Amino acid sequence: MRKVLLILGLFLAVNCFSQNKQILYNLTSVPQSLMTNPGADFKYKYYFGVPLLSGMSFKVGTTGFSAYDLFANDGVDFNQKLRNVVYSTTRRDHVAVNEQIEIFNGGIKLGDWLENKGYLSFGLYQEFDLWSYVPKDLAILALDGNQNYIGKTFNLSDLNVKAEMVSVLHVGYHKNVSEKFIVGGRAKVYFSSFNATSTNNSGSIITRPSNTTMYEQEINSDMRLNTSGISKYIADDYDGDVATDVRKQLLLGGDLGLGFDLGFTYYPKKNTQITASILDVGFIRHTKDVENFTYRGYYKYEGINPNFTDTDNPDGVYSDFKEAVKLDTLYNKYTTWRPVKLNASYQYSYGTPSDDDCVCITADKRYKNAVGAQLFVMSTPRMPITALTGFYQRNISNQFQVKATYTLDSYSYTNVGLGLSANLGKFNMYFMADNLLEYRDVSKANSLSFQFGFNFIFADSNEPPY
Amino acid sequence: MKTYLNRLIGFVLLIGCGFSCSSDLDFDQANDLKLKPTYIGNFSYFNVPATAFVGDDGSQLDLAFDDQEFDVFRDEYLSDYLQRADFYFEINNTINRAFTLTIVLMTENDEALTTIQFVVPAYTGTPNTITRTEIFENARLDLLKSARKMGFLIAIAPGPALNKNSTGNLILRSNATAYLEIQ
Repeated sequence: MRKVLLILGLFLAVNCFSQNKQILYNLTSVPQSLMTNPGADFKYKYYFGVPLLSGMSFKVGTTGFSAYDLFANDGVDFNQKLRNVVYSTTRRDHVAVNEQIEIFNGGIKLGDWLENKGYLSFGLYQEFDLWSYVPKDLAILALDGNQNYIGKTFNLSDLNVKAEMVSVLHVGYHKNVSEKFIVGGRAKVYFSSFNATSTNNSGSIITRPSNTTMYEQEINSDMRLNTSGISKYIADDYDGDVATDVRKQLLLGGDLGLGFDLGFTYYPKKNTQITASILDVGFIRHTKDVENFTYRGYYKYEGINPNFTDTDNPDGVYSDFKEAVKLDTLYNKYTTWRPVKLNASYQYSYGTPSDDDCVCITADKRYKNAVGAQLFVMSTPRMPITALTGFYQRNISNQFQVKATYTLDSYSYTNVGLGLSANLGKFNMYFMADNLLEYRDVSKANSLSFQFGFNFIFADSNEPPY
Repeated sequence: MKTYLNRLIGFVLLIGCGFSCSSDLDFDQANDLKLKPTYIGNFSYFNVPATAFVGDDGSQLDLAFDDQEFDVFRDEYLSDYLQRADFYFEINNTINRAFTLTIVLMTENDEALTTIQFVVPAYTGTPNTITRTEIFENARLDLLKSARKMGFLIAIAPGPALNKNSTGNLILRSNATAYLEIQ
């Protein structure tokens, strides 16, 4: 158990990683694109997702190292690999895991076929987020100690980690306010089943040469771990099954939070489109089953020094130290902010469909091709992360769309992604994956993500319903 | 349309194949995790002036002693993890008298467990620093781990009388290097 904690401690240094869904964004043949832009140009009479299968997305990302670097079955001692990873990364490198599963999802057009009253969409999804910076200095201190680091300041703020599980109930609305302009918004209620946040640590440990005692040694610590919903799992006498118990409190339990998404789509020209969205502007107030662990204080260690002339301090250095730098457990409520995500895109469309492909009426003509660029920015406990994507989208037919992306981000410069959306009658399915080049050897990948889902879509049309 | 269908199938196969292409990973290796850090820190320090060996009435004091709590091994983790400890001592005497410094590690009940003794020659005008490293391993390490007190005794050897104007100091600087193994 201690090893698991050590490894976790080593790698969990923050929260929520890149939830960039560059392939899904603005791929408006898929209903889930509304979740990345509530103002997406997606029209429907109604749609609903196949329960539990309408939207699944998984993403794992690491910067600075890959699973292969640590776990390759190559006969090299694990401790050596761990050491290599720690020394080859920086405190800015991170590990991120994000998983989302839609429990249900649906939407309906308001008003009848002639009216423009907008579109409603709603659903419930569950999300797990883990974000951790590499706690480099603490890892060095644990692996090698301070012997070879006289004069170095070990930075305690390197420990920066966040993990949480939330269920999100949401209702969205979007409407064509004009021929060229679509706006939308989404209200969200968050239910946090557990949260562990340690993102505001500070302090240092230093050993440097001194003229009197051998060294000047100081520890200055202001560290804090906030938790909610996990106290029973970390209690000494807990003997239940974590997986089962977590599942029990997954949905609609735990702490409450509120948030919103906003977005728009604008057509300055018929073949030019600009979109933008801001997602998860919201907070969660953690009030239930809250525990805060703090490690605070200052201690200057000078040694076990005799005093031949005056009266001594009767306490030993160990008790002095424990008195000076204290580990406390508090029960204070706290608030966490959701990682805010910004998306924006510019798209240029060209190539009108031939008569073979489409006998639709003029107003409904789809362009065959689109190229463009997307920007993604997400807040993290330190600097926001950014990704820039170029894409090409092809409407192979009204039933079949393909989108290819090339993304530059902190994980890699060779991220090629591909997404497919196909309609078989009313049945829609989509599959998306990025970092395709890494699939040659997934164990060496720095980042992998894939999404898929199944929906039933009943298209909006300008024809009377009967 | 058929070609596109073929391409779709091709793509799915490519992905499927891609998933199968992974180097052999062994996550059980995490069980081999063994941390072997080496920590270095102050051990003990004192700086005693020559005048400390002269009483208020000018009499000669032959002894100086003090006991200190030695409670680091109350921390059971440290006690478990410690594989070896090296104590490095550096003694610098600028007093024109010789000394014997004895450091005794004792139990709670003042029973001596192990003793470290230094014979420090008198200062004769040239730098007079003696150094030594004491290594604690195996049985001696176990004695160290059961120590709860540390006694310091300075005995002054016969020589010219000291008075309130005597100069010089007896200085001890030392550090401890702890070799840990955490598994």
